[in-house]
Amino acid sequence: MVTGKDIVKIAKLAKLRVKDEETERLARDMSEIICFADTINNAVEDSEEEFDGIAGIVNAFHEDITVESFNRDDILKNREGGENGMFVIKKHFSNR
Amino acid sequence: MSDIKYIQNLLGTKQLSCVELTRKYLNAIEKENKLLNAYVKITDQEALRTAEQVDDRISRGEKLMPLEGIPMSLKDNIVTKDIETTCCSRMLKGFVPIYDATVWDVLKKQNAVLLGKTNMDEFAMGSSCETSCFGGALNPHNTKHVAGGSSGGAASSVSGNIAVYGLGSDTGGSVRQPASFCGLVGMKPTYGAVSRYGLIAYASSLDQVGLIASDVEDAAIIYDSIALYDPKDATSRGAGTTSSDKLDKSIKGMRIGIAREYFDGIDGDIQKSIENAVKVYEDSGAEIVYFSLPQIKYVLPVYYIIACAEASSNLGRYDGIRYGYRTESYSDIDDMICRTRSEGFGEEVKKRIMLGTYVLSAGYYDAYYKKAQKLRGSIVKAFRDAFGLCDVMLAPTVPTTAFELNFTSRDPVETYLTDICTVSANIAGLPALSIPCGFDSKGLPVGMQLIGNSFEDYKVLNAAYQYEQQMKEKIYKKLERGVRI
Repeated sequence: MVTGKDIVKIAKLAKLRVKDEETERLARDMSEIICFADTINNAVEDSEEEFDGIAGIVNAFHEDITVESFNRDDILKNREGGENGMFVIKKHFSNR
Repeated sequence: MSDIKYIQNLLGTKQLSCVELTRKYLNAIEKENKLLNAYVKITDQEALRTAEQVDDRISRGEKLMPLEGIPMSLKDNIVTKDIETTCCSRMLKGFVPIYDATVWDVLKKQNAVLLGKTNMDEFAMGSSCETSCFGGALNPHNTKHVAGGSSGGAASSVSGNIAVYGLGSDTGGSVRQPASFCGLVGMKPTYGAVSRYGLIAYASSLDQVGLIASDVEDAAIIYDSIALYDPKDATSRGAGTTSSDKLDKSIKGMRIGIAREYFDGIDGDIQKSIENAVKVYEDSGAEIVYFSLPQIKYVLPVYYIIACAEASSNLGRYDGIRYGYRTESYSDIDDMICRTRSEGFGEEVKKRIMLGTYVLSAGYYDAYYKKAQKLRGSIVKAFRDAFGLCDVMLAPTVPTTAFELNFTSRDPVETYLTDICTVSANIAGLPALSIPCGFDSKGLPVGMQLIGNSFEDYKVLNAAYQYEQQMKEKIYKKLERGVRI
């Protein structure tokens, strides 16, 4: 059973903001989904082995050589207000 | 003759120029898209520029590449350089990629004529296209019904004859289900057969680029062009072999496996259409093998736990710093990130991120995520064993035909249950194709699914083609809208 308190905690971990009036509805929806997910506990596992990945590939390396990367100006194109080749946000630390 | 080959014949013999053909499609889109909402962006300038290049090559007597000059669509989670790509989310409105997805790069080099980017459920999370920030795409067979999801726009564009084929993405059935709803062929290749470089990630161990086409031969032609090894995708292997040259192989003696559990709770009309399809295979000399696959009852919870867990990680990148939506007013960086994500994502996306965060969090990781991964291993093994008994498996694609509009207003678990037939192919990384097999009592298309063993995509296409050759007149309905060549 997922509670409103759980929703607040999960939202914080997920970097999401949940309005107070939405908490109970979300808790109900999530409880239903978790109850549905709980059916996996009825399954008997074949072995203790962890699943190793679906790709069936091990160590997909490429050559350790320097290649051209993306142009910095292109990378900054999707964010207005870039300065000196950097992304700009508000000051993180206040003046003390 | 397949649509692609027919059109290329018209172009090659100069009965029609590529520019004329492209204008026909663009005019049809202008007329039909107001209702169908299949496209969220129309790339008319790009399309006509490419069409001119194709006509130029034809005038010089050069041979056409397999998909050259064919008007097509791309789902809006496949990045296209200098063309806005949004995943139909407020979070990425205005985002213009600086590179092309590999699948688009391959098709661009073949002068594929890109008509536009198609509608989808936000970040590919949904089964009806209705979570799109642009509103849902409608089903051209009956516009009171959804086109399906998440690749609803792609299916609507092909079914509405406003694209010859479309590329979509399939994480839990998002190409096959809309193809089934719209009376088309939809294929999810083996995991690793098609590059995911440039496919905006939802759940990386489940995502695959898929295709939607009007018939199996077209599907095979498209598959052969896109199923290539890509060093930029660490999970890429390519197809290993071509498929379109193997369509004609006889299926006499082919073992078609039917797992009983796929048929629990499906509509009577769908049951009947699939039984008819089984008879067609039997009459063609295929051997029908019935067996039980009890692990199927766990595929849905396993899928939603793993998919949401991976999504919670993948969508962590959307923080408003480097690209995408950023909230207008905030007090500090943490506030900025939280407000950006809460305002930028829709309800279903936020729900799935929270579910994924929950199953990965301390105290729940072992009970949900770790357990789901172990069960995934059991499911993979069960399918591997099943392919010791058969060559391809046959199952319904969806337990129902196309939902009526406002599907997402139902309770969350009810909407997830409709994925029961499709998710197992994603969990096990197997190739799977949906092909129409009839119509229900309301005239809506019914789809059946063929699932193959890993990297045996050519067998799936072969089995689908042989069925289609016998049933073509009965399973396809070309609609009186869009472009009729």
